[in-house]
Amino acid sequence: MAHVVSSLDQPSNYKDSQTRVDRQRQNDLLSKSTTLYIGNLSFYTTEEQIYELFTKCASPEDGGGIKRIIMGLDRNTRTPCGFCFVEYYTHAEALASMRYVSGTKLDERIIRCDLDLGYKEGRQFGRGKSGGQVRDEHRQDYDPGRGGWGAQAQRLEVERRREVEERYADAQDGPGAVAGGGGDWKDAEGAAPTEGKKRGRSPEDEGDDQRIVG
Amino acid sequence: MSYDRRGGYRRRYRDDYDDRRREPFETPEDKLKTAIIKLGEVDAIEELPRLQKQIQDHVPVNIAIVSEAFRIGVTEQPYKIPYYAALIRLLHEHPADSMGHAASPLGRLILEDFWKGFQAYLDKLAWREARLCIHFFAHLTVAQLISPESMVALLQAFTAVLDEFGVSHGRAKRAALCAAEGLMISGPGLRTLSPTNVTDIVSAIQAFNDTTGSAKWLVQPTVKVFSDEVMIDNGDEVQSEFLLFFSLLTPALQLLDTALFALKTLVDSDFKQTADSFPQPYANIPALDNELSQFVLPSVLVPPEIIELDALSNDADADDTAQVKKEEWPEYFLRLFDNDVSPDPNTPAGYAVRTALLDIISIFEVNRKECARLLLEYPKWNHPGSFKPKPGAPVPPEGENSPVPGKDWQLESTIIETILGAFLILPESSHKSVYYISLITELCKLSPSTVGPAVGKSIRKLYGALSEGLDVEAARRFAEWFAVHMSNFGFQWVWKEWVPDLALTVQHPRRTFMRRAIEFEIRLSYHDRILKTLPEPMQGPDAHTVPEQAPGPDYEYDDPANPHHDAAQSVLNLFRGRAKADDVIAHLDTLKTTLETTDDTEGNVDATVRSIAVQSLLNIGSRSFSHLLNAIERYLPLLRSLTSSGNTVESKAGILSTAAAFWRHNRQMVGIVFDKLMQYQIVDPTDVIAWTFANRAGGLDAFEWDLMRGALDKANGRVVIARRRVTALRKEDDDTRARAKAQAGAEEGGSAMEVDADANTKPEEVTDSPALATAIKAFTSLTREQRGALSRTLEGFVDCLGPNASDASANPNPHARTVVTESAWHNRANWDSDDWSAWETWGWYRQFCRAYSPYLRNYSNTLYTVSFARLDGSTDPATELLKKTWNVATGQDVS
Repeated sequence: MAHVVSSLDQPSNYKDSQTRVDRQRQNDLLSKSTTLYIGNLSFYTTEEQIYELFTKCASPEDGGGIKRIIMGLDRNTRTPCGFCFVEYYTHAEALASMRYVSGTKLDERIIRCDLDLGYKEGRQFGRGKSGGQVRDEHRQDYDPGRGGWGAQAQRLEVERRREVEERYADAQDGPGAVAGGGGDWKDAEGAAPTEGKKRGRSPEDEGDDQRIVG
Repeated sequence: MSYDRRGGYRRRYRDDYDDRRREPFETPEDKLKTAIIKLGEVDAIEELPRLQKQIQDHVPVNIAIVSEAFRIGVTEQPYKIPYYAALIRLLHEHPADSMGHAASPLGRLILEDFWKGFQAYLDKLAWREARLCIHFFAHLTVAQLISPESMVALLQAFTAVLDEFGVSHGRAKRAALCAAEGLMISGPGLRTLSPTNVTDIVSAIQAFNDTTGSAKWLVQPTVKVFSDEVMIDNGDEVQSEFLLFFSLLTPALQLLDTALFALKTLVDSDFKQTADSFPQPYANIPALDNELSQFVLPSVLVPPEIIELDALSNDADADDTAQVKKEEWPEYFLRLFDNDVSPDPNTPAGYAVRTALLDIISIFEVNRKECARLLLEYPKWNHPGSFKPKPGAPVPPEGENSPVPGKDWQLESTIIETILGAFLILPESSHKSVYYISLITELCKLSPSTVGPAVGKSIRKLYGALSEGLDVEAARRFAEWFAVHMSNFGFQWVWKEWVPDLALTVQHPRRTFMRRAIEFEIRLSYHDRILKTLPEPMQGPDAHTVPEQAPGPDYEYDDPANPHHDAAQSVLNLFRGRAKADDVIAHLDTLKTTLETTDDTEGNVDATVRSIAVQSLLNIGSRSFSHLLNAIERYLPLLRSLTSSGNTVESKAGILSTAAAFWRHNRQMVGIVFDKLMQYQIVDPTDVIAWTFANRAGGLDAFEWDLMRGALDKANGRVVIARRRVTALRKEDDDTRARAKAQAGAEEGGSAMEVDADANTKPEEVTDSPALATAIKAFTSLTREQRGALSRTLEGFVDCLGPNASDASANPNPHARTVVTESAWHNRANWDSDDWSAWETWGWYRQFCRAYSPYLRNYSNTLYTVSFARLDGSTDPATELLKKTWNVATGQDVS
C-alpha cells in the first residue's frame, strides 16, 4: 500500500542457508510466517526479557500471542550464543515485530528481526565452527555483551552470567526436545483419545521424522 | 547431530549479498510517476514549473499514469496536497497543444481521472484517502478550478451521513471530519455562494457532536472522571467556561470539538485565516480567464456501511474479517504544552498542524524510521516561521522565515505531544502501543538534542497528570512507554526529582506509576541493573518502590523445615528424572494416601498434594520460558488429572493460587504461567477471572487488570479463531457441493440442464461435513465460554464496587461509594491507600466497559440481568455509576 516508502516488514536478505526448500516455496512460507529470527542478542539476555518485548506486538484478542521462544545455543557448550526464534500464533504479529521492534534495543543492544521459514529441529544450535553462530566468526570487534569478559565485569554481573551459562545445560536435541507452546483450543471430549506427547503442538509444527542438517 | 561441513565455506561471503536487489528498469512512465511523487524533495515552489513542463512534454500523453501519481501523492503525502493543487493549476495553463489533443487542458483531464480514484476510495469507504482527496478538491476550489457549488454539494454528501438512521459513531465521525476539513480549506473559494451553505454544514456537524455527550464522558482521559455532566460544550457562550475548566494541568481535547472550534473561527472571520493555516502556493498564480472551464465535481452518495454478516450465516462471504468490529469513540488528545509551545488545536492553524502530523503518523506506520524523518521535516510544508528554527541553524535574512506572531512553536514538543496524544487515546489507540513508542525512539535517535528534551518535558507533564485524574489505562500505557523508552536509552532517568513523592500514600497514582515503571524496566533488563539507576532513598524496602531482590521463584518446599519437604523432594526427583506422567500420578496417589493417614496438619490433603505437584513442576520449569513449556507439555496428563477429580473449580483455582505463590516475586511469570495454563486448557479464562477477583487485595490494581485482560483476550481470541475456521470450512463445503453439482450436471449432459436446471437441486439435503460440524460445535462452546468470562468480570466488578448483595444498603467496599463524588475528588490530597485503590478499581471498570463494549453489547441483556438486576431500586451512588457506565458502554444511553 505504501508507494512512497518501503514497509519495514518486508523479508530481508536473511535466510536459512541450509534450508532445502526452493526459493518460490520459501517466499510462500515467509508470506505466512509466524516465526522471527532474532539476531544480535546479548549472550546473557533471557527468554523472559525477549518475551516482555515481543509480547508488545502480540494480538491475543485476535487469537494471537507468543507461542514459544527458542533460544539459540552454542552447539558445544549449550550456552546462548546470541540469537533466538520467537514464534507467534499469527503472521500479523510477526509483521508487527518487524515494523516496531526490529532495530530497537533489548538489554541495551540493537536487535534485528527477520521473518523466518519456521523452526526446524536442530536449528536452535549455532552452526559456526566453534559451535556458535557463523556470523560471529566474522566479527572483528570485541563485544562484551557477547562473551567478551570485560575486566570491569562486576561480581553481580559474573553471577548473572554464571546463572545464564548453566541455564541450558540440560538442553536436549532430537524430536520433541523443544516444546510446542500450545496449539488451538480443542474440545475436551474430542481431545481425550488423541492425548499423547504431541498434544498441544499445532499441525504445522515440524514433522518429527524430518531430519534437517543443523 | 551431524554437521554438514561441505557447506561451511561455500557461501560464506555471499551470504548477505547475493540477494541484494538490483535497480529495476524504469520506463519513462515510471520516471514521470516518480518525479510527480517526489515533488518538493528540495523546494516545491521552485520545482513546480519544471515538473509542469516534464508532464506536458511527456509523449505520448498518459493521463492514467499521471493521475495515479497524483492519487498516490495526495493520499500518501498529504503535506504536499497544496502543491499538487498548484501543479494542477499550472497544468491548466497550456491546453494540450497542436498534437490534436482536445481542447481540454491536461490539468482538467488529470482531474477527471483523479475523480474516478476518489470515487473508488469512497466505494471502499477508505475514509482517510477520501478525506485527503477532499482536501485536494478544496484547495482546487480556492484555486478556482472546481466550481464552488459542486464543492459544497460534495461536503453536503458527507453531512448527509450524519442524519442517517442508526449511523455508527465511527462512520459519522469520519464523515464529519471530511466535511469539516473540506470546508476549512475550501471556505475562501465559497464566498460567492450564499453563506447558509456554509453555516448549514457547520450546524450539521455541531448537531452530531452534540449527540455524543455520554460517549465523551466515558473516554475522557483526565478530567473529572466521575462528574455526571459532560463539561465540554462547543457553543460559543461556554467557551470561556471551557477554557477555565481546562486550566487543569493536562487538558484533553476531542478531535471533533477542535475541528468545530477551528471551523467556527474561520467562518466568523469569513475564512480570512484559512490562508494562514493552510499554505496556498497557487494563490500567486493569476486566475484563469475563463470561469466557465471550472470542473464540476459529479454528485456522490457516501455508500452505506457494509453490514457485517454473521460469519455463521450461510451467505457469509468468506473473508477473514472475523474480528469483532471495534467500537468507535470520540477521540481525546491530551494536551501537554502551552499554546506558545505547541499549537492549540482549537485554532485553525493549530488544527491544521495537528491533523497533518496525525496523518503522517498514521500513513507511515509501515516505516517508523521514515515517519520520524518526515515528522521532523514537516515545517518545510507549512508556512515559514510557524516553528522555531533548529538551534544553530543560520539566522534567516531579515523578513524571511522570521517568527510569525502567535506561532513560532517548538516542533519537537508539538510532534511528541501529538504522538503521545494518539498513543493515549481511550479505550485503545489505533495502532499498537509499541508503534508510538518506537516512533518516539526513532525521533530521539534522529535528533537527540532537540527531541530528548521534549520527551523529558512530556514525561514530567504526564507524571504530574497522574495525580490530576489521568485515566488508569492511560497511566498504564505511560508506564509501558516509559520503561521501553528508557530501555532504548540506557535507563537514564533522573529519578531523584520524584523522591519527594515517596511521602505520598503507597497507592497514590504517582507511587504506583513509579513501582510499575521500575518493574517493567526490570523485566526488560534485570534487577541489579535497574537498582543501580535509582537514588538511594528509592532502593530501601521502606520505600516500597523496588523489590529487594531479583524476581526469582519461591519454591515453598525447598526449606527442609517445611513438613512436606521430603514428599516434595520425591516428586521433584521424579520430574528431574523425566519420569512418565502416569508414574508421577501413581506416586501422587500413594503420597495422598500416606498424607491422609499420617499428616496431622490442617487443611485438605488434595490441596496439599496439588500444591506439591504444581510447585515442583513449576520449579522444574523455572529456568526459562521454554523450560516452563517443556515441563507443562511433558506433564499435561498430570495437570489434567489434578483438575479432573473432585471439585474442578476449586482445583483450578488451587493451581492458579499455587502458581501465583510460586512466582510471587515475579509478576511477569505469573502472567505467563496463567496464559499458558489457559493455552493448554488446564484452566479456562473464566477461572482466571474468578481467581483474580477472589484473590485481589482490596481493590483491583493494574497487575490484576492485566491478568483479567489476558483472560478476556484469550476468550475473545478463541472465538475469533473458531469463527474463522467455521467460515473457511463452510466455504470448502460449499465449493465441494458446487463442484459435485457441476459434475453431476455435466454428466447428465448439457441439454438436460438447459431443459430443467432446477430438477436436480430441489430438496437436496444440506449436510455439513464432519469437520464443519465439529468446528461449529467448538464455536458454540467457545462463545459460551466468552460470555461466561465477560459475565464473570462484570459480576466481579459489581461485587467489588457496588452495594452488598444481601443488603443493598451496605457496601462491602465503603470507599467505592465515597470516592466517586466531586467533593471527595477535591479532597484527594487527603486520600489514603484504600481511597486510591477504590478509585483505581473504578478506572478498570470503566476500561473494561469501554474496551470490551463490542463484546458486551452482544450479550447486554443477559449480562445486565445477571449482574445488575439485584441492584434495581438501589440509589447508592456506586450503583448509579456502575449502571451509567454500563449503559453508556453498551449504547443504551446515547443522550
